[in-house]
Amino acid sequence: MSNDKNREQINELDQSFWSNVKRQFKKNKRAVFALYCILFLIFIAVFADFIANEKPIVAKYKGKTYFPIVKQYAVDFGIGKWPKDLQNVKWSDLEYDFVLFPPVPYMSQNLDYKNSQYKSPFDDQILKSKRWRHWVGTDKLGRDVLAGMVHGTRIALSVGVISMSISAFLGILFGALAGYFGDNRLRMSRIRLWLNVLFFFIALFYAFGVRSYILSDALGVSIISLLGQLLLSFLIFFAVMTVANLLVIPLKKIPFLGKRVDVPVDLSISRLIEVIISIPRLFLIIAIVAVAKPSLVLVMVIIGFTSWTGIARLIRAELLKVRNLEYVEAAHALGFNDLRTLLKHAIPNALSPVFIAIAFGIASAILIEAGLSFLGIGVPADVVTWGSMLNLVQDYPNAWWLATFPGFAIFITVTMFNLIGEGLTDALDPRLRQ
Amino acid sequence: MFQYILKRVLIFLPTLLIISLLTFAISVFAPGDPIKEMLTSQTGDGQSANIMASEKAYQEKRQEFNLDLPIFYFSFSNQASSDTLHRIVKKPHKTNLERLIYQYGNWPEVENYYWSMRDYEQAVFNVEKDSTNAAQLIKLKDGVSELLTSYKEDKIDNKIEEIVELSTQSASLTALNSTTLKMKASYENMKAKESSWKNFIPAFHFYGTDNQYHKWFFGDKPLFGNGDGKWSSKGFVRGDFGRSYKTQRPVSSELTDAVKVTSIISLLSIFLTYLVAIPLGVFSAVKRNTVFDQISTTTLFILYSLPSFWLAIMAIVFLCGGDYLDIFPPAYKPDLSGGFFSDLKSQAYYLILPLAMWTYGSLAYLSRQMRGGVISVFSQDYIRTARSKGLSENSVIWKHTLRNSLLPIITLFASVFPAAISGSIILEMIFSIPGMGKLALEALVGRNYPIVYAVVMCSSILTLIGYLVADILYAIVDPRISYK
Repeated sequence: MSNDKNREQINELDQSFWSNVKRQFKKNKRAVFALYCILFLIFIAVFADFIANEKPIVAKYKGKTYFPIVKQYAVDFGIGKWPKDLQNVKWSDLEYDFVLFPPVPYMSQNLDYKNSQYKSPFDDQILKSKRWRHWVGTDKLGRDVLAGMVHGTRIALSVGVISMSISAFLGILFGALAGYFGDNRLRMSRIRLWLNVLFFFIALFYAFGVRSYILSDALGVSIISLLGQLLLSFLIFFAVMTVANLLVIPLKKIPFLGKRVDVPVDLSISRLIEVIISIPRLFLIIAIVAVAKPSLVLVMVIIGFTSWTGIARLIRAELLKVRNLEYVEAAHALGFNDLRTLLKHAIPNALSPVFIAIAFGIASAILIEAGLSFLGIGVPADVVTWGSMLNLVQDYPNAWWLATFPGFAIFITVTMFNLIGEGLTDALDPRLRQ
Repeated sequence: MFQYILKRVLIFLPTLLIISLLTFAISVFAPGDPIKEMLTSQTGDGQSANIMASEKAYQEKRQEFNLDLPIFYFSFSNQASSDTLHRIVKKPHKTNLERLIYQYGNWPEVENYYWSMRDYEQAVFNVEKDSTNAAQLIKLKDGVSELLTSYKEDKIDNKIEEIVELSTQSASLTALNSTTLKMKASYENMKAKESSWKNFIPAFHFYGTDNQYHKWFFGDKPLFGNGDGKWSSKGFVRGDFGRSYKTQRPVSSELTDAVKVTSIISLLSIFLTYLVAIPLGVFSAVKRNTVFDQISTTTLFILYSLPSFWLAIMAIVFLCGGDYLDIFPPAYKPDLSGGFFSDLKSQAYYLILPLAMWTYGSLAYLSRQMRGGVISVFSQDYIRTARSKGLSENSVIWKHTLRNSLLPIITLFASVFPAAISGSIILEMIFSIPGMGKLALEALVGRNYPIVYAVVMCSSILTLIGYLVADILYAIVDPRISYK
């Protein structure tokens, strides 16, 4: 008996940092609730096609069994084709032997002509049966609002997560370089510095400048071909930079060129951060997105490329403190090179404020995306998102269901991420540890 | 301290320079043609009676706005491309020519081909229309326009064949034959003298100060006196922001009109925020964990998470007429006939709802920060000392705690500067307030670049000044921070 109790006490005492954080987080009931809500939203986002779709989940038609939603995935990836009698067909009107439709039998952009002109959820709707009721109403064109909300979840969450991933990657990269190397820790021979800078522009020229038409044509063909060409471009870039560094080896022998100089990493990255911060973020995003072709991927990438400065500053501050600590010195003494010290020792210990920033950052990215689609910028006109539904209210303020429900969805999602961020702040705060 | 300020102000300049380059770059890479939009909006109808007349107007407008100059002081491209391409007037033609240069790599031959097509276009135009050739003429005109924007080899081949075929269908069109043959010949020439290897050799062209960026930023009027009449502007650095593409009014007057409206709302909102949030935050911290604190914390958290544009839309739906209550007006349409401040009462009526929407978010954020700051200060030893010394609670709070928890307040103040001027784009669009946000958005979408540049540069300058002010205030408030 007492042995078990002792073991329990010992187990509780020498837990690692992150399990301590997890325990502290779980004590915060609001944060745990928020986490479950987010998991629920992620579930909706992943299975959106099965929750709201014009196609049935499973159908027996003319004797053959089909799984139309799964087949649509196959067709989109190019590995399947619709049989002739199922192309361009109105799925709700077919005569089935057996059919199972998703809970919401509409796609977000389907137009229901019999129920257009802003049908409220409480109005009488012209329907085949109660199964087809628009539970949250329709908009002017007859698009089902509930379907729009379900698919909007997918767009909102993917924009939030992907743009913050890009931000986190860029922020950690630049912040770590700036904080760890400062202005006087990275030394290289003069010729290496000059050649790398010079060949950077040459590499850009050959990898992206010359190939700009190839890349933009590939963009028009498909994502796969674009990725292939981008890969080739990056390979060319690295090849040119390798050439540059190989050239350094013989040229280092010349005394003037071989002199080791400090590379002002911190100075340049801090100036870059200042420039990006000085331009109001929404302006910059709207400016780039408004002048380019509307595309959701572009919106994600642009939000990611303009939001990394906060994370970079956090990592930079942490690493400036950390790089003078003993364990970094010990790592150097053991002969670890800079990359290993950074990746395995320095950065993991600096990540706590970054997680908090990511949680709040996802919330703000979702808000920005909603704002952009509200203004009608950046998102293609036929894509239905939470923000675009709010936009429709302006033409017809009596459609309160168009304002309330999508807006509430935005509010809940943002609040949940904020709660998680707060929960993380409390869990990671060393002063509050019991 | 003064040296520090001086050093900071000096660092502004390269930052501003880079920002100006960035905004300029965005306008250059943007699709769409501002001159075209300018001309169609002015004449009112898109038809032009004469291609050449409208083209002349197009060219004049371009020269007026300096758009026929190279973009920057130098350009870094490849041997194949041309450094005189910026002189080509029409943007769709220019993009097509760039594509052709990429394909064939020989600018002189491509240029020949282009001008032969333009000559053909003019020749077609000069043919007298009559019953025999009306249909053909239309097809020929369309054919040539399409040729001017095609680069794919088979498409061009087909089109030229078609044109040759059409020219033989009517007697009056035989006058075009020589021009047609010239066009075909120059096309064959271009294909024959292909040198696309030139694409792979970098080249550097230097243009000097006669470029768009220099004219925009530094201007070309001499420093003193007026010079001779052909100088166009004093440049951004000296305060001349150019003229709006859309309304032809000077940008500075458009900006001041918009700033007046935005700054009233922003300044009022800031004043209200600080007035309410600081006491609220301190109170919550003092009365920590009481009912008041719990209610206010939850309420403020909810307010902070409510997207402002959603709340604004909900307010419009439920409070502004339509099927429900009718307390506030949905759009900002006051009667400004007597000047801006003529009718304060109706102004106030129109401004209540926008003001509320503007304020509640930052109010919630600020009071939470204040509360957090005061709580963290309360647990410090010197507060315990002050209390044990016998100081009244009021004195402890307002004299000792407040000053030490001011740091997050000052940080927020730094971001307030640019927000006061750049406004909130979304809220201004919802309430139709003619402020800076609406101006900037319409300029961005309408490709009205002078306004875009001016707004972005002004916001950036104000942001930098705001950070500087915040740093100076840090030093004043906290004697431990010094910049010696």
